[in-house]
Amino acid sequence: MNQTAILNDELPAKPGSKPYKQNRWKKNFWGYMFLVPALVIFIMFMWVPIFKGFLYSFYTVDFVKGNTFVGFDNYATALTDPDVLIAVKNTLYYMLLCLVVGFWVPIAFAIAISELRRFGGVVRVAAYLPYVMPAVVLYGLWRWLYDPVGPINALLGTLGADQIPFLTDSRWSMLSLVFMETWQQFGSGMLIYLAAVLSIPRDWYEAAEIDGAGVWARIRHITLPSLRNLIVLMLILQIIATSQGYQSQLALLDGGPNKTTLTYALLIVKYAFTQLDYGTATALGMLMFIVLGGLGILQFKLGKEDN
Amino acid sequence: MKSAERGILSEHDLKKTSNKVVYGLMVFFIAIMVFTMMYPILMTMFNGLKSNQEVNSFPPHFFPQEWHFSNLKDAVNYIDLLMFLKNTLYIFVGNMVVTLVVLGMASFSISRMNVPYRKAFYFFFLMTLFIPATSYMIPNFVNLKELGLLNQYAAFWLPAGANTFFFLLLKNFFDGIHPEIFEAARIDGASEPRSFFSIAVPLSVPIFATLAIFIFSTAWNDWFWPSLVMHTEDKYTLATAIYKYVINVKALNTNIKFAILFLVSLPPILVFLIFQKFIMRGVTLSAVKG
Repeated sequence: MNQTAILNDELPAKPGSKPYKQNRWKKNFWGYMFLVPALVIFIMFMWVPIFKGFLYSFYTVDFVKGNTFVGFDNYATALTDPDVLIAVKNTLYYMLLCLVVGFWVPIAFAIAISELRRFGGVVRVAAYLPYVMPAVVLYGLWRWLYDPVGPINALLGTLGADQIPFLTDSRWSMLSLVFMETWQQFGSGMLIYLAAVLSIPRDWYEAAEIDGAGVWARIRHITLPSLRNLIVLMLILQIIATSQGYQSQLALLDGGPNKTTLTYALLIVKYAFTQLDYGTATALGMLMFIVLGGLGILQFKLGKEDN
Repeated sequence: MKSAERGILSEHDLKKTSNKVVYGLMVFFIAIMVFTMMYPILMTMFNGLKSNQEVNSFPPHFFPQEWHFSNLKDAVNYIDLLMFLKNTLYIFVGNMVVTLVVLGMASFSISRMNVPYRKAFYFFFLMTLFIPATSYMIPNFVNLKELGLLNQYAAFWLPAGANTFFFLLLKNFFDGIHPEIFEAARIDGASEPRSFFSIAVPLSVPIFATLAIFIFSTAWNDWFWPSLVMHTEDKYTLATAIYKYVINVKALNTNIKFAILFLVSLPPILVFLIFQKFIMRGVTLSAVKG
């Protein structure tokens, strides 16, 4: 029975003939049908907004009176606003802090936890747990932790140190947010690194040890090089993510104190939803796209190599 | 000791004093890390069960001196948590259905069906990954407004089908199913939709579970976007409502505030503890998300 079916399948009509076309249409019909809903939705909710983003950066968007073409006015507004420069600086500072404070933490803990002989599972769960907590809970919780009469300042008090105004001092505000985000997010990065660390063949360490390599040498010459691709990929992912950061800055400090946590993405949000200037907000978004677009392609290429 | 059971350190290394010290320090740092992770989470719970006076006392206590379980009741009554919960679940279920139907069919089509120009279609979906989401956030909002979708659940459900990351997850999963299964179905006379619904879908339960967890956590955690799209109180999601009525409100007693925060973080924590294995596996997949 199977054989006859295969035979039928392998006897195509001649190309160009009517049955051939019909046959091909029939053969591909469901393939297209299955694609149609996704194509429609991707166009409606991805490509149209992206295209409109380009278009509206040259318009004044007004929901009541309709949009008017203004040429490069939005870009001019954006580029002459002194806040843009502040926001770019703050964003770069935020990205730098996230690298210095947060980037190495998951790598170090992944290597350390892989060496635990016992309780590895419990430690993993504990490290990941903050990542599960909703962001709004995080904000409420850390506002209390950072409070002048909260537990961190209480600890500093018992140690005899001065109190730290975590959220109200402009020197501390961004750093405090980075600490909070590192606390929440390092667990997920740690698990990714941990999977990679555990996939390194144990024999390599065995061989290195027999050759007389010490513990540090083994980490430096075996563990870290094995993680290299992943580290680069995670670095790019983090840069892409932090360059667009605005939510904790908005929720906890609203860009303050003194605009020290006003990031570029937050400025876009403020232009759109505080000043209701959607045109300039879109223009700022386009500028961001031009700068960040290249990074996305780089990430894709590296991710492909990694797989 | 078998070579498979060693790590970077071997049993032999641990006999050296210097290594012992390093190992001890490492365990110490891990212990501090675990404490730093657990203390704030447990504090959220215990603060929610203290009297308001005790929460605000300085220095803070860890365990409540008196347990005030009535705080939980006050928390539920302070804002209509159940209504916000219902809205959140509504969005979650709708997003899940749209994702599975729209992206499931599209990824199956690209992965296992006859489609000319398959590469072009694939690239059409993939291209969106290169564009940073924040750069078209505002036009996205304007677009929803122009479509008349603001303040409607459809504003979440429909765009849920435009998720490239989930598309890739599904496609990779279907790529991993042996094509012979579908060949056999075809030969036995199954139509294409039939081989999708009766063969591919039942085989895909693990990836659907992973997606369900991702979609749940997005629906549960996202506070900013829903606060823009939904502008009447009866449509707010839980996270948005907490942001608007709890986080930035000074008049609310701190213990009740924490009781609410505790209640809201409880479901995701439980989901995590129950489906730990699924999630730990899913995390590694999310490395491509960005």
